[in-house]
Amino acid sequence: MDDSLTIAQPKERCASCFNEIVNDDIYCTNCGYPIKGTEHEQQVFLSQNEINNIDYKVYNDKVKRAGNSLYYLAAFAMLGGIISFFLRQDDPNVLAYTLPSLILAVLFLVLGSYSKKKPLACIVSGLVLYLIVQILLIIDNPVNIASGIIVKIIIIGYLINGIKSALELEKFKKEHNIKD
Amino acid sequence: MLSEEIEPPEIKACLQCTALLNINSKFCNSCGAKQSFPEVKVTDQWNLLKQAAIFYALYLLLCCLSKFTDAFREMTWYLVLEVAGILLTVGFFAINWSENKALLKWPGFSLQKLSAYCGIAMAGAFLVHYAVGWLNVTIYSQEEHLFNASRGNYYAMFLLVFFTAVTPALFEELGFRGYLLQSLLKVSDTHQAVYISAFLFAIIHLSFISLFWLIPFALFIGYVRVRENTLWYGIFFHFCFNLTACLFELLQQHK
Repeated sequence: MDDSLTIAQPKERCASCFNEIVNDDIYCTNCGYPIKGTEHEQQVFLSQNEINNIDYKVYNDKVKRAGNSLYYLAAFAMLGGIISFFLRQDDPNVLAYTLPSLILAVLFLVLGSYSKKKPLACIVSGLVLYLIVQILLIIDNPVNIASGIIVKIIIIGYLINGIKSALELEKFKKEHNIKD
Repeated sequence: MLSEEIEPPEIKACLQCTALLNINSKFCNSCGAKQSFPEVKVTDQWNLLKQAAIFYALYLLLCCLSKFTDAFREMTWYLVLEVAGILLTVGFFAINWSENKALLKWPGFSLQKLSAYCGIAMAGAFLVHYAVGWLNVTIYSQEEHLFNASRGNYYAMFLLVFFTAVTPALFEELGFRGYLLQSLLKVSDTHQAVYISAFLFAIIHLSFISLFWLIPFALFIGYVRVRENTLWYGIFFHFCFNLTACLFELLQQHK
């Protein structure tokens, strides 16, 4: 009977994550916000949180950029495949020249499209695949090392940055319980 | 009489102070300490990746040497390369020996499982053999024989079996499912680690057409290794697969 008489009080919520607070909590059990701390402590916590969120955004952007370079590589390989097909149309072995480019294009496309879900796996695979293709091209003809070297360095840079950011991102997601 | 027992809410002790917390709490409500396992440092993971990259680059160098230089087609130089590869894998495997040695144990040995894996391997090799034969004929309009050097010589035949079935099974497993996968498991979750190791294993064979069977092959062994927590099933799987492929090759050459 007593239960029905108590007046429902509005529940107190954490100022940082809006999680419900139980009366005697000194810290929020969800995010660690110092509920009973001084105003200074609370300000420090909130600004740190803000910094974390900015970091998260930066990492996300870098991973996205790496994913985009995978798409770019896919398009490039596809273009190469199509051009070689038309150049060697009459060659009976035309498939032997075109197919590797097309397989490469499909691989980069698949890696690019999964790079949001599984960033680390896709970007590492993409980078190694790209490097091996470059090595094979250089073995085929050493002059290839110089062609488009700036673009190559930019792509490798984006992918390496992407790997680092993917590590940070996974750590951040694990710590803050963010699900994809 | 109230005999109903109220189930106590699940609680845990704070990692830092003595407060009792709800099992789901991420932070202590009285001291603010974080309730999770020791933090993984991204720099440590990055260093592990760099180390793995060195292993992979050296392995790739050996693969390129054996594939693209004529000098290493000769038996002596081929052996030098083979030994270098073995030293490389064993060396990297031994870097973290205290942890990796557990993978060499065979907990819960089961003959049935082993024969099942070997059966799958042989069936797989059978399928791949015909698929690859068909692909080579349709795409390159020719049949490729990889091991013509050993035609008709029994001594060479044993060497062929040894170098295509025994050493790759042992040392590729040690390198890729042993050292590499173990490092990647510390960097990422199981699925991504198995996937990365499989993809890297597949593309180091430097053949785009073969990817269609190499990736599933490596994924399968990767998951077997994670599930069974031992390298041995993978080694036998790999051995049976390569042996079947090798026997097919010999059979064709004798025709």
